[in-house]
Amino acid sequence: MPSAAPRPAAGDHFIDFELPDHNGNRRRLSELVGGDPAILQFYRGFWCPKDQASFRELVRLQDQVEVAYTRMISVSVDPPEVEAAFRAGIGGRWTFLSDESRELQAQLGLLETTDTVHRPYVPTVFTLYPNLRIHSVYNGYWFWGRPTNAELAADLRAITRAIRTDWEVPAR
Amino acid sequence: MTKPWHWFAFRPEAPTAAFASAAAFRADGVQLGFLATWLVGAGRKPIGALGIDARAIDPHGEPAWVSLALAPERIRVLFDDPAICQAMRAVLSGPPVDVMSTLVRDPSSIGGAFTAIHATTPEGLADDPFTRVFPRMLLRVERGFVGRMPSPIGPGVQRYAGVPWPWDHF
Repeated sequence: MPSAAPRPAAGDHFIDFELPDHNGNRRRLSELVGGDPAILQFYRGFWCPKDQASFRELVRLQDQVEVAYTRMISVSVDPPEVEAAFRAGIGGRWTFLSDESRELQAQLGLLETTDTVHRPYVPTVFTLYPNLRIHSVYNGYWFWGRPTNAELAADLRAITRAIRTDWEVPAR
Repeated sequence: MTKPWHWFAFRPEAPTAAFASAAAFRADGVQLGFLATWLVGAGRKPIGALGIDARAIDPHGEPAWVSLALAPERIRVLFDDPAICQAMRAVLSGPPVDVMSTLVRDPSSIGGAFTAIHATTPEGLADDPFTRVFPRMLLRVERGFVGRMPSPIGPGVQRYAGVPWPWDHF
């Protein structure tokens, strides 16, 4: 069962929220996106086998993302110290954000109402332009709704092509 | 627009005309020299100075321990050297520190790395990944030099327009 608030859709501008990161630093989304294309991932938690499988793919993708002027951000309702341990365990080198209070989750309409134990995020991935406009949304409630790395790469290519004025190699 | 980096150098004698400077001591209390920064664009580049992220420096900052890893002057090491990229990855994976900036020798080569914590002991700097690449000095630095900056935003290990990593905007 989905929650009632309207969820962000392709073409919307994502709200510029602020949350603590895995080290406890307050971070604003626009600061983390920082003028680059970005992958914004909401996940259930470290305990979810589907999320673990998704993260293994994202960890593979980060080797390309790290050289491509592109960002990755992951958000859950886990406390920062839990996220820090999970991030270290999977070998993630990007920023994790903690919505422990679930205020952002309610604002985005991304409460997974069918899990009354953890009350996690509905697994959802957004690809974003640098101005936080949403390029694509992937609803990962069912695992096969989640993006493959090839789909993410295609989105990031499209965004990069749109924003980098020198996508076509400069003549001089 | 303010430049996102300053010039930085370790000097054996007290520097002149610096934007900020502070005496630097070994763990046993012996003074080794001074850390100094100068504003980019305010006069000529000081001899031997390296670029450092401006957020690393605070003329009102608290005392700190600094892990200063410096490349030997005769050796030119590219930022794109796999050893440097791996050190950056290790920084992103490692425990948080109060300051971390690479030191830029020229647009493509690295002069070292500056890592600092505001703490009474230097244990938090024991695993500075850049010490596996360059010789380093572990320094206790007086008040008035070291700032605070948030942890680098991963997973990027490429710099933007030649400025020190982890500066994160074009």
